[in-house]
Amino acid sequence: MVAVNIQSVWKYYGKTVAVKDLNLLCRENSFLAILGPSGCGKSSTLRMLAGLEHISAGDIFFGEQRVNMLPPKDRDIAMVFENYALYPHKTVFENMANPLRLRGVDKAEIDRRVKAAAAMLQIDALLDRKPMQLSGGQKQRTAIGRAIVREPKVFLFDEPIAHLDAKLRAHMRGELKHLQRRLETTTIYVTHDQLEAMSMADNIAVMHEGVLQQFGTPSEIYNHPANEWVAGFVGEPPMNFLNCRLELTSEGVVAVHPACRIRLNDAQRRILEEKQAEPDVKLGIRPDNIAYRAGANSGLDIPATVFVTENLGGDMIVEVTLGDDRLTIKTKIGPIANLDDPCTIAFDVSRIHLFSTTTGVAYF
Amino acid sequence: MTDQTMAAGRGPSADSGGVKRIDYAPTALNPKPSRRYYIWMMAPSIILLAGISIYPFIWLIYMSLHTVGEVNQPDVWNDFKNFTRFATDGKFHNGWLLLLQYSAMCMALEVGIGVLLAVILNRSKLEKVLVTLILMPMMMAPIITGLVWLFLYNGAFGWYHWLLQSIGILGPTSVLGDSDIAMFGIVAVDVWQWTPLITLITLAGLKRVPQDQLEANMVDGAGPFRNFVSIALPNIYPFLLIAVLLRFMDNFRFIDAILVLTGGGPADATNILPVYLFDVSFQYFKLGRGAAIALTLLLVTIVLGMVLVKLFEDPRRKIKHTGFD
Repeated sequence: MVAVNIQSVWKYYGKTVAVKDLNLLCRENSFLAILGPSGCGKSSTLRMLAGLEHISAGDIFFGEQRVNMLPPKDRDIAMVFENYALYPHKTVFENMANPLRLRGVDKAEIDRRVKAAAAMLQIDALLDRKPMQLSGGQKQRTAIGRAIVREPKVFLFDEPIAHLDAKLRAHMRGELKHLQRRLETTTIYVTHDQLEAMSMADNIAVMHEGVLQQFGTPSEIYNHPANEWVAGFVGEPPMNFLNCRLELTSEGVVAVHPACRIRLNDAQRRILEEKQAEPDVKLGIRPDNIAYRAGANSGLDIPATVFVTENLGGDMIVEVTLGDDRLTIKTKIGPIANLDDPCTIAFDVSRIHLFSTTTGVAYF
Repeated sequence: MTDQTMAAGRGPSADSGGVKRIDYAPTALNPKPSRRYYIWMMAPSIILLAGISIYPFIWLIYMSLHTVGEVNQPDVWNDFKNFTRFATDGKFHNGWLLLLQYSAMCMALEVGIGVLLAVILNRSKLEKVLVTLILMPMMMAPIITGLVWLFLYNGAFGWYHWLLQSIGILGPTSVLGDSDIAMFGIVAVDVWQWTPLITLITLAGLKRVPQDQLEANMVDGAGPFRNFVSIALPNIYPFLLIAVLLRFMDNFRFIDAILVLTGGGPADATNILPVYLFDVSFQYFKLGRGAAIALTLLLVTIVLGMVLVKLFEDPRRKIKHTGFD
C-alpha cells in the first residue's frame, strides 16, 4: 500500500505527444479515477504506471521508490485489462494462480489464496472452466481475481467493465468499489465513462488532449468544473451553454442573452469583480437546474418553444429553443408537449456557471 | 392473458417465476434453402480430383499386387510377393532408417532455426525487407538448389568445401564423398531451402499472439523467456503444427535435390526410401515393387500425419462452448 506520485510526466509516441506535463498524486489506499475521452492520454498514463510504456520525461514514484526503470514484474502491481487478457489455454484456477506461480509461491498457499479470491468474487464454482466457457461478467471477475490473489502495492484498472452490458456494469461498479474498500489497496482506474468515475472514485483526474484539466473529488468536479470543457464532459445530459454579455445595471450584474436576461446574485458579482471578468462570457447550466412549465404564460420568467420531448419513464428530457440556442432540461414527467408548443423556463441562478469566452476557465 | 388462450392451454405455467414462458412448439417448420446448388458448385473439382488422384491411386494398388510386365508383356498376379520380400530387402530397411534420420534432423533444425528467426524478425524494424530476403531460397526450384549446392560442396572448387576445410571441420574428403558426412550435407540443403517456410508460418502465428495477454503476463511477473513459452508458444502452436506437417510430408517425397547431389550415395549413405523407390521404379523398372514401396510410404505418411495432428492438436478447439455470450 503506497501512494502513487506522478511528477511532470510526458509521453511521446514518435512526434505525437500523448501526455503533457502530468502531475498527479494518488494517496495511499485511495481510489483515483482518470477520466477522459478516447485519445486523452489516460491509457498511456496507466501503461506508464504499469511499466508497459517507457516514460518519455518526468518521474513516477511508488511511495519513495522511483519506478521509471523497473520492468512490470518488479513493480508489484496488478492490472486488469480492458479485454480481460485471460490466458485462453488455462483454466480459471490456472489464470488466477499465474501471478503466484511466477513468484514461486508454494502450492498449498496458491490453492488457499486462489480459492479465497474466487469465493470473494463468487466464481468458486467455475475454477475448472476455460475462459471460452465463461460469460463476460465471469471473465471479468476472473481477471479481477488474478489481480487480487496477490497483495500488490497498486491496482491498475484499464476500463475493466466497459464491455459488459449496462445492467451488469451497474452491478460491477458497486462490487468493485466494495472490493477496493475492503482490500484497502491504492487503486488507479482509467475510464471514459463519467458514471464509473463519479460513482467509485475518491478523486477524479479529468484529462483531455494529454493535459490534466481538473483534479478533485467527484462533487468538486461536478459542482465546480474548472473549465468549460470539464463542465461539458461531466454530467448527463451534458451542461447547456449560452453566449452572454455581462452588463452592470441598477439591478446588479445581468447576463444578457438575445432571448433572456439573467440577474446574477451578489456573491457571483463579487467573484466577477475580484477576477476582473471580461464582459463576454459563456453561461453554463445543467439540465436539472432549469425549471420548465408547458404552455404560454405558464408563470416562469423566460418564454421558449419546445423542440422535442423524450420520455424516460419517471423523468423527461425536454429540449427547448431559446433564441438561436437550444437548451436541454431534465424535469419530472409531465404532459408530453408537441413540437413548437410554447413553454416557459427559469434558471436556478445559484447553480449557473460562467466561463471566460477566451480561455474557457471558470469564474464560478 | 385472455380466457381464450388459457383455455387453449397456452398460458404461462404455474412455476413461471414471473416470466412469460412458451411451452408449445410451432406445428410446422419452414423448409430450409436447398443445398443442391453447392453440390453442383463442387462437382467439377471433385470429378477432376477423382481423375487425377483417385484413378492413379487404384492403379497403384493394382500394380503393387502384380509383377508389372514390361512393354507389351501381361501383368502377373504374384501372391503378395512385392510385399513379402520387404522382409529380406536390406536396402528397404536401410532406406526407412535413413529417411527417419533425415526427416528428424531436418525437422528439428528447421523448427528450431525457423522459430528463432521468426521471433527475431517479428521484433525487427526491417521485417518486410528481411522476410523477402529470407524467403528467397524457398523460391528456387529444388533441382537448381541441388545444382548450386553441388558446386558449393565440390571438392576442387566448392566454396563451402574450402570453408569447412579451412576451419578444420572437414578432413581430406569432400562433403558428399564421405559416407559419414553426406547425410549432413543433404540435411543442410533442406534446412537452407525450407527453414523460411517455418519462419513465414510462425511469423503469421506470432502476429496473432494477443498483445494484452503478453502484457498481462508481464504484469503477473513473467520475464521475456517465460512470456514466450507460456503465452506466445501456445498461440503459435496450431501454426507450427501446420508447418511441421507440411515439412514432414515434403521430406517424404522431395528428392530432387538429393538426386542431383548424391543420387543416394556414397555407399547408400543417403539412399533414403524415396530415393530407393525412385531407383526401383525408374532405374530398374520394377514397377510392381516400386508401387508396393510407394504404398507403404503413403501408409506411414498418413499414420504419422494423423499421430502428429493428434499430438499437437490445439487443445482449445476441443472445448465445448457453454458460455453465455
